[in-house]
Amino acid sequence: MTDSLKLIFGYLIFPGLIFSAMVGMIACWIDRKVTARLQYRKGPPWYQPLADILKLLGKEMIVPEGVSNAVFLAAPLFGLSAAALVALILWQGNLDRSAGFIGDLIAALYLLTIPSLAMIIGGSSSRNPLSALGASREMKLILAYELPFTIAVFTIVVKAGSIMIGGVASHTAVLSVSGLIAFLVALLAAQAKMGFVPFDIAEAEQEIMAGPLLEYSGPGLALFKLTKDILFFVLPLFLITLFLGGIEVTTVAGIILAVLKYALILVLMVLIKNTNPRLKIDQAVRFFWGPVTLLAIAGFIFAVIGW
Amino acid sequence: MNLLNIALILPIITALICFAFRNAAKWIALIVSAIVLIFSVFIFLSGHMISPWLMLYSAPFNSGIFMAAAFFTFIVVLFSQKSAEGMERIGEYYGYLLITIGAAAGVLFATDFMTLLFFWGMLGIPLYLLVGIKGNGGAAAKKTLIMVGGSDALMMIGIALIWVINGSLMIGAARLPLNNSFTIIAYLSLLAGAFAKAGVMPLHSWIPDASEVAPSEVMAFLPASLDKLLGIYLLARISIDVFPVMPNSMISILLMAIGSITILAAVMGALVQHDFKKLLSFHAISQVGYMVLGIGTGLPIGIAGGLFHMFNNAVYKSCLFLCQGSVAQATGETKIEKLGGLAAAMPVTFYVFLIAAFSISGIPPFNGFVSKWMIFQSLIELSKTSPLWIIWLAAAMFGSAFTLASFVKLIHSVFLGSPTVATNKAREVNWQMWLPTVLLALLCVVFGVFAFSLPLKYLVFPATGWILMPGWWEPGLATGLLLLGLAAGALIYLAGRTGGVSVKPPYIGGELIEESATRVTGAEFYNTIREMPVIKHIYSAAEARFFDIYEILSGFSRGMSDILSWFHNGLLHTYLAWMLLGGIVIIWVLIR
Repeated sequence: MTDSLKLIFGYLIFPGLIFSAMVGMIACWIDRKVTARLQYRKGPPWYQPLADILKLLGKEMIVPEGVSNAVFLAAPLFGLSAAALVALILWQGNLDRSAGFIGDLIAALYLLTIPSLAMIIGGSSSRNPLSALGASREMKLILAYELPFTIAVFTIVVKAGSIMIGGVASHTAVLSVSGLIAFLVALLAAQAKMGFVPFDIAEAEQEIMAGPLLEYSGPGLALFKLTKDILFFVLPLFLITLFLGGIEVTTVAGIILAVLKYALILVLMVLIKNTNPRLKIDQAVRFFWGPVTLLAIAGFIFAVIGW
Repeated sequence: MNLLNIALILPIITALICFAFRNAAKWIALIVSAIVLIFSVFIFLSGHMISPWLMLYSAPFNSGIFMAAAFFTFIVVLFSQKSAEGMERIGEYYGYLLITIGAAAGVLFATDFMTLLFFWGMLGIPLYLLVGIKGNGGAAAKKTLIMVGGSDALMMIGIALIWVINGSLMIGAARLPLNNSFTIIAYLSLLAGAFAKAGVMPLHSWIPDASEVAPSEVMAFLPASLDKLLGIYLLARISIDVFPVMPNSMISILLMAIGSITILAAVMGALVQHDFKKLLSFHAISQVGYMVLGIGTGLPIGIAGGLFHMFNNAVYKSCLFLCQGSVAQATGETKIEKLGGLAAAMPVTFYVFLIAAFSISGIPPFNGFVSKWMIFQSLIELSKTSPLWIIWLAAAMFGSAFTLASFVKLIHSVFLGSPTVATNKAREVNWQMWLPTVLLALLCVVFGVFAFSLPLKYLVFPATGWILMPGWWEPGLATGLLLLGLAAGALIYLAGRTGGVSVKPPYIGGELIEESATRVTGAEFYNTIREMPVIKHIYSAAEARFFDIYEILSGFSRGMSDILSWFHNGLLHTYLAWMLLGGIVIIWVLIR
């Protein structure tokens, strides 16, 4: 009984839904603040991401005419629950290196596609041509980054000699040539998974008005934003686990190191975001299937020969 | 009389009654398929059973597959009660279905290769006739017959070789190691039979062609479920019991390469199709690649994963084809450009399709995820001994992303999106049509959530041995947590209820635009990918049927006959010249 209560607590509060959303909101604020400063603006106060969500919860929800209500409303829920589950799996694998199950890494990889899928289904169900365009772009983006991302992840599996999250977390892969290459590839894929510039093609506000999210308002939009906040915690954590030797939170030094690692990933993501223009979808696909995949393959070969 | 004999003879005899009394055929087929299903459960529960006549033998593994086959027969017959109502040759239709399940019993329970080959050949006839059941079969049915029948001839060679090597035709009488050209040729010949039936590349090309003419029920029955069960059963039997495939042997690598190519090439084909049924038929090819990949590893977990995928695929693929049949019935359309917005009009079909589509794409916690996950595990296991595993793994995972992409296209353009002339008056189909699909969708969920405690334990592990280890993916637990997350999200909705809900037309730049001008059909979803530099050429080569072995071979035979007909030009003096030349050659040989 206590075990299942622990699990429910872990999933809903710490480190699952609420905790990861909180960390993600802080990250989101840092991102917005840095971006604003770079553009000579003042930027929002620290509580702005939370305020956004609370405000959205109080707004009217507009459902487009003639849609299948259940699909339109349920789509954001699936993304949220999958993202929180990945947070739990990753955190547990990091803290108790012997816990977790065989192949939990693959389960995490698969669960990570559900938030994108939720956005695609939601956008496609909203009967708006611009949302449909956005949904198709999101799907093509998934196809684009999935190949190099898979190769990068399995490069680390070769390096660490383990397919469990606990196993790869005990190995600081980025210190080797192959690990560094795989890290760069995975960072680009994570950027695309987050939908950040230069890969914010699916939402492209100035062009297709937020694409799949266009028809969402009020609580539905809040749920999508919450999912994105959780991903802002989960994806850097995923990269830390795979490449930077995981995190340790039992000692003060461990916590400081974990925060530093997280900050490093955050800085890199914000840096890429603020120094690049948006790509077109065919350019993104060509970029990922061309140079990035070749890079990933090179990294894998290096890993096999032991570099 | 023995249950095994009844399961074999009863459907074949009653098929003759169906031919004679076409008005009663649908009731006869329903009753007989139900009886066969009940018998198959008895056979399965009794564990082992022997029938001295024809030497039939049932063990948990083959009777499990027979139970599945009988189940799909029953489902398709149930679905056909309403959907096939207007069919002209209704008596023959049900008769062929029954002959198929009877012959399938013969194949599955056979203990020697001769019996197996006899019933295997017998299966080809109803397949040929069912593909052309609407009277428009022609070329596609002929192609099916030639490809499946031609591979039967190859099987005969393989079986003759086994006879020569072994002196016995019992399946699994002796293990034949794949270390000399004799056994390898025998194995490859049998493989051709299994591959043509299951639709593995390069013997796949009859399936998309058949999908253009055959009714959806036939597609759901044969290429989607029964042919997969039988083809993969044969592949597993010969690769486990007769010619054990060793991990990292040449044959193992060949199988895995064929599996990977099948996964990727077929799913790329599916991605650009514009026809609902044809798109699904490409997935019927692509999915079988996973099974070949899993069995090809030669590792117990890979074989178990491949076999589990065989059951899972039969469930979701027949479900998808039946949903397609329902949509065609309701709208009269199979072109996806002309479909759209059916989610509100046909809710049951939509949800069922959604579940099946997520299952085939390997989304947790549905069944497709578990079997794919097992196959991935086996590939990772291979990493300890060979560096090639990453190619197979990348192909399998990438193929899975493509599968998802092509189903996103279908979900969007058939069920979501905006309605069309064909779909705006559509209504949900009769319960006799949606009930079978609902049953199949439920199985997708049950096989996913209770994977280890139900299907793997009873259907798969009897064949491969118990390989369950502690600390595996716990689908039940993950599902529970996901449901909890859904509930938490629903609470957020409730918390945000204060703002109220209103219904407004979609916002398209604030202008009133005619809907037809702004429809995004999904047919163009992946044109970007189609236009990619290298891929562009592959697609145009595939469209010119450059990779179709049937076209290649028939081109070859046409070329040969062209050469021969060049000799036969009907001019007497040419013939005389040839005779003279021949005579000189003969004399030269004789007097040399």
